[in-house]
Amino acid sequence: MTPERDFRSKPVLTALVAAAPASLRERLLARDEGALAELIDLASPWLLGITQSILRDREESEEVVFEVFGTAWDRIGEVEPDPRGLMPWLIRVARNRAIDRLRRRGRRLRTAVQAHSLGVLGELVTAPTEVNEAATPGWQVHERVHAALLQLPEDQRAAVRLAYFHGLTHSEIAQALSIPMGTVKTRLRLAFDKLRQTLAPLKEWVQ
Amino acid sequence: MTAHDWFLEHRAAWVARALDEEEARSFRDHLKRCPDCRAAVAELEAELAWLPMGVSPVAPRPGFRREAIERTLGRRPPRRWILPLALAASLLVAVGLVFQLERRVGALEADVAGQRTALAALEDTMSVARQAGRMLHASFAMDGKTCGMMILADEHTHRWSVVVHGLPPAKVGEKYQFWFITDGGMRQGVVLEVVPGKMATFTTGMPPGNAKVMGAALSVEPMDNGGPEMKGPELAKIML
Repeated sequence: MTPERDFRSKPVLTALVAAAPASLRERLLARDEGALAELIDLASPWLLGITQSILRDREESEEVVFEVFGTAWDRIGEVEPDPRGLMPWLIRVARNRAIDRLRRRGRRLRTAVQAHSLGVLGELVTAPTEVNEAATPGWQVHERVHAALLQLPEDQRAAVRLAYFHGLTHSEIAQALSIPMGTVKTRLRLAFDKLRQTLAPLKEWVQ
Repeated sequence: MTAHDWFLEHRAAWVARALDEEEARSFRDHLKRCPDCRAAVAELEAELAWLPMGVSPVAPRPGFRREAIERTLGRRPPRRWILPLALAASLLVAVGLVFQLERRVGALEADVAGQRTALAALEDTMSVARQAGRMLHASFAMDGKTCGMMILADEHTHRWSVVVHGLPPAKVGEKYQFWFITDGGMRQGVVLEVVPGKMATFTTGMPPGNAKVMGAALSVEPMDNGGPEMKGPELAKIML
Protein backbone atom coordinates (compact mmCIF):
# COMPACT_ATOMS: atom_id res chain seq x y z
CA MET A 1 0.00 0.00 0.00
CA THR A 2 1.53 3.30 -1.02
CA PRO A 3 1.60 6.28 1.35
CA GLU A 4 -0.89 8.09 -0.88
CA ARG A 5 -3.39 5.33 -0.25
CA ASP A 6 -2.96 5.18 3.52
CA PHE A 7 -5.85 7.48 4.20
CA ARG A 8 -8.20 5.05 2.57
CA SER A 9 -7.96 2.73 5.51
CA LYS A 10 -9.56 5.34 7.80
CA PRO A 11 -13.29 5.34 8.50
CA VAL A 12 -14.42 7.22 5.44
CA LEU A 13 -16.93 9.72 6.70
CA THR A 14 -15.11 10.27 9.93
CA ALA A 15 -11.99 11.14 8.04
CA LEU A 16 -13.63 13.33 5.46
CA VAL A 17 -16.42 15.12 7.15
CA ALA A 18 -16.08 15.19 10.86
CA ALA A 19 -12.69 14.71 12.42
CA ALA A 20 -10.25 15.29 9.58
CA PRO A 21 -11.44 18.66 8.22
CA ALA A 22 -11.89 20.13 11.72
CA SER A 23 -8.45 19.13 12.86
CA LEU A 24 -7.03 19.86 9.47
CA ARG A 25 -8.16 23.45 9.67
CA GLU A 26 -6.39 23.92 12.97
CA ARG A 27 -3.27 22.28 11.66
CA LEU A 28 -3.42 24.29 8.46
CA LEU A 29 -3.71 27.42 10.57
CA ALA A 30 -0.58 26.24 12.37
CA ARG A 31 1.14 26.00 8.93
CA ASP A 32 1.51 22.24 9.26
CA GLU A 33 2.70 21.05 5.87
CA GLY A 34 1.69 17.51 6.76
CA ALA A 35 -1.87 18.77 7.10
CA LEU A 36 -1.64 20.26 3.65
CA ALA A 37 -0.57 16.89 2.26
CA GLU A 38 -3.50 15.22 4.03
CA LEU A 39 -5.89 17.81 2.65
CA ILE A 40 -4.58 17.22 -0.84
CA ASP A 41 -4.98 13.47 -0.42
CA LEU A 42 -8.53 13.82 0.84
CA ALA A 43 -9.82 16.48 -1.48
CA SER A 44 -8.02 16.01 -4.79
CA PRO A 45 -10.15 13.17 -6.22
CA TRP A 46 -13.34 15.15 -5.64
CA LEU A 47 -12.04 18.55 -6.66
CA LEU A 48 -10.57 17.04 -9.82
CA GLY A 49 -13.85 15.26 -10.50
CA ILE A 50 -15.84 18.46 -10.09
CA THR A 51 -13.54 20.69 -12.13
CA GLN A 52 -13.05 18.15 -14.90
CA SER A 53 -16.77 17.65 -15.13
CA ILE A 54 -17.16 21.38 -15.74
CA LEU A 55 -14.08 22.16 -17.78
CA ARG A 56 -13.58 18.89 -19.69
CA ASP A 57 -9.90 19.67 -19.73
CA ARG A 58 -7.54 17.78 -17.47
CA GLU A 59 -4.73 20.32 -17.35
CA GLU A 60 -7.01 23.30 -16.84
CA SER A 61 -8.84 21.35 -14.17
CA GLU A 62 -5.59 20.66 -12.37
CA GLU A 63 -4.70 24.34 -12.54
CA VAL A 64 -7.96 25.19 -10.81
CA VAL A 65 -7.37 22.60 -8.10
CA PHE A 66 -3.83 23.88 -7.53
CA GLU A 67 -5.30 27.37 -7.13
CA VAL A 68 -7.83 26.10 -4.65
CA PHE A 69 -5.18 24.48 -2.47
CA GLY A 70 -3.13 27.65 -2.69
CA THR A 71 -6.13 29.69 -1.58
CA ALA A 72 -6.84 27.29 1.27
CA TRP A 73 -3.24 27.47 2.45
CA ASP A 74 -2.90 31.25 2.09
CA ARG A 75 -6.31 32.34 3.32
CA ILE A 76 -7.27 29.74 5.85
CA GLY A 77 -6.68 32.29 8.59
CA GLU A 78 -8.76 34.98 6.90
CA VAL A 79 -11.82 32.84 6.26
CA GLU A 80 -14.29 32.36 9.06
CA PRO A 81 -14.63 28.71 9.99
CA ASP A 82 -17.29 27.33 7.69
CA PRO A 83 -19.99 25.66 9.80
CA ARG A 84 -20.31 23.05 7.07
CA GLY A 85 -16.64 22.14 7.30
CA LEU A 86 -13.59 22.59 5.20
CA MET A 87 -14.52 20.29 2.33
CA PRO A 88 -17.75 22.08 1.33
CA TRP A 89 -15.81 25.34 1.27
CA LEU A 90 -13.13 23.81 -0.96
CA ILE A 91 -15.78 22.29 -3.20
CA ARG A 92 -17.58 25.62 -3.56
CA VAL A 93 -14.37 27.49 -4.35
CA ALA A 94 -13.28 24.86 -6.88
CA ARG A 95 -16.67 24.79 -8.58
CA ASN A 96 -16.92 28.57 -8.75
CA ARG A 97 -13.44 28.94 -10.20
CA ALA A 98 -14.03 26.22 -12.75
CA ILE A 99 -17.27 27.93 -13.81
CA ASP A 100 -15.47 31.28 -14.00
CA ARG A 101 -12.98 29.75 -16.39
CA LEU A 102 -15.74 28.07 -18.35
CA ARG A 103 -17.63 31.33 -18.74
CA ARG A 104 -14.53 33.04 -20.09
CA ARG A 105 -14.69 30.67 -23.02
CA GLY A 106 -16.95 31.57 -25.90
CA ARG A 107 -20.55 30.71 -25.15
CA ARG A 108 -21.15 28.88 -28.39
CA LEU A 109 -18.01 26.87 -27.95
CA ARG A 110 -18.75 25.81 -24.40
CA THR A 111 -22.32 24.90 -25.19
CA ALA A 112 -21.27 22.82 -28.16
CA VAL A 113 -18.49 21.15 -26.23
CA GLN A 114 -20.71 20.42 -23.27
CA ALA A 115 -23.51 19.11 -25.45
CA HIS A 116 -21.09 16.87 -27.27
CA SER A 117 -19.54 15.75 -24.00
CA LEU A 118 -22.92 14.87 -22.64
CA GLY A 119 -23.58 12.65 -25.60
CA VAL A 120 -20.43 10.73 -24.87
CA LEU A 121 -19.96 11.17 -21.14
CA GLY A 122 -23.37 12.14 -19.92
CA GLU A 123 -23.54 9.32 -17.46
CA LEU A 124 -20.12 10.04 -16.03
CA VAL A 125 -21.63 12.05 -13.24
CA THR A 126 -23.74 9.30 -11.82
CA ALA A 127 -22.06 6.18 -13.08
CA PRO A 128 -18.70 5.53 -11.43
CA THR A 129 -16.32 3.70 -13.70
CA GLU A 130 -13.81 2.28 -11.25
CA VAL A 131 -14.69 -0.29 -8.62
CA ASN A 132 -11.93 0.84 -6.25
CA GLU A 133 -13.39 4.34 -6.13
CA ALA A 134 -15.51 3.01 -3.31
CA ALA A 135 -12.40 3.10 -1.15
CA THR A 136 -12.00 6.83 -1.72
CA PRO A 137 -12.74 8.98 1.34
CA GLY A 138 -16.11 10.63 0.84
CA TRP A 139 -17.48 7.81 -1.23
CA GLN A 140 -20.46 7.40 1.12
CA VAL A 141 -21.33 11.05 0.59
CA HIS A 142 -21.11 10.48 -3.14
CA GLU A 143 -23.44 7.51 -2.84
CA ARG A 144 -25.98 9.57 -0.91
CA VAL A 145 -25.88 12.32 -3.53
CA HIS A 146 -26.07 9.73 -6.26
CA ALA A 147 -29.11 8.17 -4.68
CA ALA A 148 -30.75 11.58 -4.32
CA LEU A 149 -30.18 12.32 -7.98
CA LEU A 150 -31.63 8.96 -9.00
CA GLN A 151 -34.83 9.83 -7.18
CA LEU A 152 -35.37 12.75 -9.54
CA PRO A 153 -37.30 12.37 -12.77
CA GLU A 154 -34.97 11.96 -15.71
CA ASP A 155 -35.79 15.37 -17.21
CA GLN A 156 -35.04 17.14 -13.91
CA ARG A 157 -31.89 15.07 -13.40
CA ALA A 158 -30.64 16.07 -16.84
CA ALA A 159 -31.21 19.74 -16.08
CA VAL A 160 -29.41 19.46 -12.72
CA ARG A 161 -26.57 17.60 -14.35
CA LEU A 162 -26.07 20.31 -16.93
CA ALA A 163 -26.37 23.12 -14.41
CA TYR A 164 -24.53 21.75 -11.43
CA PHE A 165 -22.00 19.36 -12.87
CA HIS A 166 -21.30 21.03 -16.21
CA GLY A 167 -21.73 24.69 -15.28
CA LEU A 168 -24.28 25.64 -17.92
CA THR A 169 -26.69 28.55 -17.49
CA HIS A 170 -30.46 28.46 -17.97
CA SER A 171 -30.25 29.59 -21.57
CA GLU A 172 -27.39 27.20 -22.36
CA ILE A 173 -29.34 24.28 -20.90
CA ALA A 174 -32.37 25.29 -22.91
CA GLN A 175 -30.23 25.30 -26.02
CA ALA A 176 -28.55 21.98 -25.18
CA LEU A 177 -31.85 20.22 -24.44
CA SER A 178 -33.87 22.11 -27.08
CA ILE A 179 -36.52 23.14 -24.59
CA PRO A 180 -37.90 26.55 -23.55
CA MET A 181 -35.95 28.40 -20.89
CA GLY A 182 -39.05 28.58 -18.68
CA THR A 183 -39.16 24.79 -18.70
CA VAL A 184 -35.53 24.65 -17.68
CA LYS A 185 -36.16 26.97 -14.74
CA THR A 186 -39.16 24.96 -13.62
CA ARG A 187 -37.31 21.64 -13.80
CA LEU A 188 -34.36 23.06 -11.88
CA ARG A 189 -36.53 24.63 -9.23
CA LEU A 190 -38.44 21.40 -8.67
CA ALA A 191 -35.22 19.39 -8.62
CA PHE A 192 -33.51 21.67 -6.12
CA ASP A 193 -36.54 21.66 -3.84
CA LYS A 194 -36.28 17.87 -3.66
CA LEU A 195 -32.51 17.76 -3.41
CA ARG A 196 -32.26 20.23 -0.56
CA GLN A 197 -34.59 18.03 1.44
CA THR A 198 -32.77 14.83 0.56
CA LEU A 199 -29.31 16.22 1.09
CA ALA A 200 -30.05 18.32 4.16
CA PRO A 201 -29.23 15.49 6.59
CA LEU A 202 -25.68 15.52 5.25
CA LYS A 203 -25.19 18.81 7.07
CA GLU A 204 -24.77 17.13 10.41
CA TRP A 205 -21.63 15.41 9.18
CA VAL A 206 -19.92 18.70 8.64
CA GLN A 207 -20.76 20.33 11.91
CA MET B 1 -45.93 38.49 -9.05
CA THR B 2 -43.83 41.12 -7.34
CA ALA B 3 -40.29 42.00 -8.30
CA HIS B 4 -39.06 40.18 -5.22
CA ASP B 5 -40.85 36.98 -6.24
CA TRP B 6 -38.43 36.68 -9.15
CA PHE B 7 -35.53 36.64 -6.72
CA LEU B 8 -37.32 34.10 -4.52
CA GLU B 9 -37.75 31.78 -7.47
CA HIS B 10 -34.16 32.14 -8.61
CA ARG B 11 -32.34 31.64 -5.32
CA ALA B 12 -31.47 28.02 -6.13
CA ALA B 13 -30.43 28.99 -9.64
CA TRP B 14 -28.14 31.61 -8.12
CA VAL B 15 -26.58 29.02 -5.83
CA ALA B 16 -26.21 26.65 -8.77
CA ARG B 17 -24.75 29.51 -10.85
CA ALA B 18 -27.29 28.73 -13.55
CA LEU B 19 -28.31 32.36 -14.01
CA ASP B 20 -27.28 34.05 -17.21
CA GLU B 21 -24.87 36.96 -16.96
CA GLU B 22 -27.44 39.73 -16.77
CA GLU B 23 -29.66 37.81 -14.35
CA ALA B 24 -26.67 37.04 -12.17
CA ARG B 25 -25.69 40.71 -12.06
CA SER B 26 -29.19 41.66 -11.07
CA PHE B 27 -29.32 38.98 -8.38
CA ARG B 28 -25.94 40.04 -6.99
CA ASP B 29 -27.12 43.61 -6.68
CA HIS B 30 -30.30 42.44 -4.98
CA LEU B 31 -28.38 40.36 -2.43
CA LYS B 32 -26.53 43.46 -1.29
CA ARG B 33 -29.83 45.02 -0.34
CA CYS B 34 -31.86 42.01 0.83
CA PRO B 35 -30.85 40.29 4.09
CA ASP B 36 -33.69 37.77 3.73
CA CYS B 37 -32.36 36.56 0.40
CA ARG B 38 -28.81 36.53 1.76
CA ALA B 39 -29.88 34.29 4.63
CA ALA B 40 -31.94 32.07 2.34
CA VAL B 41 -29.08 31.73 -0.11
CA ALA B 42 -26.68 30.83 2.70
CA GLU B 43 -29.11 28.17 3.88
CA LEU B 44 -29.48 26.80 0.35
CA GLU B 45 -25.73 26.71 -0.09
CA ALA B 46 -25.48 24.70 3.11
CA GLU B 47 -28.21 22.29 2.03
CA LEU B 48 -26.72 21.77 -1.41
CA ALA B 49 -23.10 21.89 -0.25
CA TRP B 50 -22.47 18.24 -1.00
CA LEU B 51 -24.32 18.13 -4.31
CA PRO B 52 -21.09 18.58 -6.35
CA MET B 53 -19.90 15.30 -4.88
CA GLY B 54 -22.36 13.62 -7.20
CA VAL B 55 -19.49 13.52 -9.67
CA SER B 56 -17.24 10.52 -9.81
CA PRO B 57 -13.87 11.11 -8.16
CA VAL B 58 -10.89 11.37 -10.44
CA ALA B 59 -7.66 9.72 -9.38
CA PRO B 60 -4.86 12.29 -9.49
CA ARG B 61 -2.15 11.52 -12.00
CA PRO B 62 1.24 10.41 -10.70
CA GLY B 63 3.14 13.46 -9.51
CA PHE B 64 0.02 15.54 -8.93
CA ARG B 65 0.32 15.32 -5.15
CA ARG B 66 3.94 16.46 -5.11
CA GLU B 67 3.20 19.27 -7.58
CA ALA B 68 0.20 20.40 -5.54
CA ILE B 69 2.25 20.54 -2.35
CA GLU B 70 5.18 22.32 -3.96
CA ARG B 71 3.01 24.85 -5.78
CA THR B 72 0.98 25.55 -2.68
CA LEU B 73 4.07 26.10 -0.60
CA GLY B 74 5.50 28.37 -3.26
CA ARG B 75 8.14 25.99 -4.52
CA ARG B 76 6.98 25.75 -8.07
CA PRO B 77 8.26 22.59 -9.71
CA PRO B 78 9.23 22.57 -13.37
CA ARG B 79 6.15 22.95 -15.53
CA ARG B 80 5.34 20.17 -17.89
CA TRP B 81 6.48 22.27 -20.82
CA ILE B 82 9.82 22.63 -19.08
CA LEU B 83 10.63 18.99 -19.78
CA PRO B 84 10.98 19.36 -23.55
CA LEU B 85 12.80 22.62 -22.94
CA ALA B 86 15.15 20.89 -20.52
CA LEU B 87 15.73 18.14 -23.05
CA ALA B 88 16.52 20.73 -25.68
CA ALA B 89 18.86 22.50 -23.25
CA SER B 90 20.49 19.17 -22.42
CA LEU B 91 20.95 18.55 -26.12
CA LEU B 92 22.55 21.97 -26.51
CA VAL B 93 24.82 21.27 -23.55
CA ALA B 94 25.72 17.89 -25.05
CA VAL B 95 26.48 19.54 -28.39
CA GLY B 96 28.53 22.15 -26.56
CA LEU B 97 30.41 19.43 -24.70
CA VAL B 98 31.12 17.59 -27.92
CA PHE B 99 32.31 20.85 -29.44
CA GLN B 100 34.52 21.51 -26.41
CA LEU B 101 35.86 17.97 -26.53
CA GLU B 102 36.58 18.32 -30.21
CA ARG B 103 38.41 21.56 -29.50
CA ARG B 104 40.31 19.87 -26.69
CA VAL B 105 41.18 16.94 -28.92
CA GLY B 106 42.24 19.44 -31.57
CA ALA B 107 44.39 21.28 -29.04
CA LEU B 108 45.93 18.01 -27.89
CA GLU B 109 46.58 17.02 -31.48
CA ALA B 110 48.19 20.41 -32.07
CA ASP B 111 50.20 19.92 -28.90
CA VAL B 112 51.28 16.47 -30.06
CA ALA B 113 52.16 17.95 -33.43
CA GLY B 114 54.18 20.64 -31.68
CA GLN B 115 55.95 18.04 -29.56
CA ARG B 116 56.70 16.02 -32.67
CA THR B 117 58.10 19.13 -34.33
CA ALA B 118 60.23 19.85 -31.28
CA LEU B 119 61.36 16.22 -31.19
CA ALA B 120 62.16 16.36 -34.89
CA ALA B 121 64.12 19.57 -34.31
CA LEU B 122 65.98 17.94 -31.43
CA GLU B 123 66.69 14.85 -33.52
CA ASP B 124 67.83 17.18 -36.28
CA THR B 125 70.12 19.01 -33.86
CA MET B 126 71.47 15.74 -32.52
CA SER B 127 71.91 14.50 -36.04
CA VAL B 128 73.89 17.61 -36.93
CA ALA B 129 75.91 17.31 -33.73
CA ARG B 130 76.69 13.67 -34.44
CA GLN B 131 77.62 14.43 -38.04
CA ALA B 132 79.56 17.59 -37.21
CA GLY B 133 83.06 17.69 -38.65
CA ARG B 134 84.04 20.93 -36.93
CA MET B 135 83.40 22.51 -33.61
CA LEU B 136 83.97 26.23 -33.17
CA HIS B 137 83.69 28.13 -29.92
CA ALA B 138 83.90 31.72 -28.74
CA SER B 139 83.71 33.04 -25.20
CA PHE B 140 82.43 36.46 -24.23
CA ALA B 141 81.37 38.40 -21.15
CA MET B 142 77.87 39.64 -20.53
CA ASP B 143 76.89 41.58 -17.41
CA GLY B 144 80.10 40.35 -15.76
CA LYS B 145 79.36 36.69 -16.50
CA THR B 146 81.18 34.40 -18.88
CA CYS B 147 79.12 33.30 -21.84
CA GLY B 148 79.93 31.24 -24.89
CA MET B 149 78.77 30.38 -28.38
CA MET B 150 79.56 27.00 -29.93
CA ILE B 151 78.94 25.95 -33.50
CA LEU B 152 78.88 22.28 -34.53
CA ALA B 153 79.18 22.37 -38.32
CA ASP B 154 78.13 19.47 -40.55
CA GLU B 155 80.07 20.10 -43.69
CA HIS B 156 78.24 17.44 -45.67
CA THR B 157 74.80 18.92 -45.22
CA HIS B 158 76.00 22.47 -44.63
CA ARG B 159 74.01 22.74 -41.47
CA TRP B 160 75.00 24.05 -38.10
CA SER B 161 73.94 23.20 -34.64
CA VAL B 162 74.50 26.27 -32.48
CA VAL B 163 74.62 26.39 -28.69
CA VAL B 164 74.80 29.66 -26.76
CA HIS B 165 75.10 29.62 -22.99
CA GLY B 166 75.23 32.11 -20.16
CA LEU B 167 73.01 34.76 -21.73
CA PRO B 168 70.56 36.68 -19.59
CA PRO B 169 67.11 37.30 -21.08
CA ALA B 170 67.05 40.05 -23.68
CA LYS B 171 65.95 43.48 -22.47
CA VAL B 172 62.66 44.94 -23.57
CA GLY B 173 62.94 46.23 -27.13
CA GLU B 174 66.09 44.25 -27.80
CA LYS B 175 66.93 40.84 -29.22
CA TYR B 176 69.87 38.49 -29.49
CA GLN B 177 70.55 38.24 -33.18
CA PHE B 178 72.61 35.48 -34.80
CA TRP B 179 74.42 36.59 -37.94
CA PHE B 180 76.04 34.86 -40.91
CA ILE B 181 79.21 36.59 -42.06
CA THR B 182 79.39 36.08 -45.83
CA ASP B 183 81.47 37.40 -48.63
CA GLY B 184 78.45 39.43 -49.63
CA GLY B 185 78.01 41.04 -46.20
CA MET B 186 76.09 40.28 -43.06
CA ARG B 187 72.95 38.16 -43.21
CA GLN B 188 70.51 37.83 -40.34
CA GLY B 189 69.98 34.34 -38.98
CA VAL B 190 67.68 33.30 -36.16
CA VAL B 191 66.75 35.38 -33.15
CA LEU B 192 67.74 33.52 -30.00
CA GLU B 193 65.06 32.61 -27.53
CA VAL B 194 66.73 32.76 -24.13
CA VAL B 195 65.32 31.01 -21.11
CA PRO B 196 67.12 31.99 -17.89
CA GLY B 197 69.47 29.26 -16.70
CA LYS B 198 69.23 27.27 -19.90
CA MET B 199 71.27 27.12 -23.03
CA ALA B 200 69.80 28.46 -26.24
CA THR B 201 70.15 25.93 -29.02
CA PHE B 202 69.11 25.91 -32.61
CA THR B 203 69.97 24.18 -35.84
CA THR B 204 70.20 26.19 -39.01
CA GLY B 205 70.96 25.79 -42.64
CA MET B 206 72.99 28.29 -44.63
CA PRO B 207 71.41 31.57 -45.75
CA PRO B 208 69.78 31.49 -49.19
CA GLY B 209 71.72 32.66 -52.23
CA ASN B 210 75.19 31.99 -53.48
CA ALA B 211 77.06 33.99 -50.88
CA LYS B 212 79.90 32.11 -49.22
CA VAL B 213 79.55 31.81 -45.43
CA MET B 214 82.75 32.84 -43.76
CA GLY B 215 81.77 32.94 -40.15
CA ALA B 216 79.06 33.82 -37.62
CA ALA B 217 78.43 36.52 -35.05
CA LEU B 218 76.04 37.25 -32.17
CA SER B 219 74.91 40.73 -31.28
CA VAL B 220 72.34 42.63 -29.29
CA GLU B 221 70.02 44.41 -31.73
CA PRO B 222 67.08 46.71 -31.48
CA MET B 223 63.92 44.64 -31.94
CA ASP B 224 63.08 46.51 -35.14
CA ASN B 225 66.36 45.90 -36.91
CA GLY B 226 65.55 43.57 -39.76
CA GLY B 227 68.25 44.81 -42.05
CA PRO B 228 71.67 43.47 -43.02
CA GLU B 229 73.63 45.87 -40.87
CA MET B 230 74.58 45.18 -37.28
CA LYS B 231 73.51 48.16 -35.15
CA GLY B 232 73.98 46.83 -31.65
CA PRO B 233 77.03 45.69 -29.79
CA GLU B 234 78.65 42.51 -31.06
CA LEU B 235 78.88 39.84 -28.37
CA ALA B 236 80.75 37.07 -30.17
CA LYS B 237 82.33 36.37 -33.51
CA ILE B 238 83.50 33.07 -34.99
CA MET B 239 85.34 32.80 -38.30
CA LEU B 240 85.56 29.51 -40.15
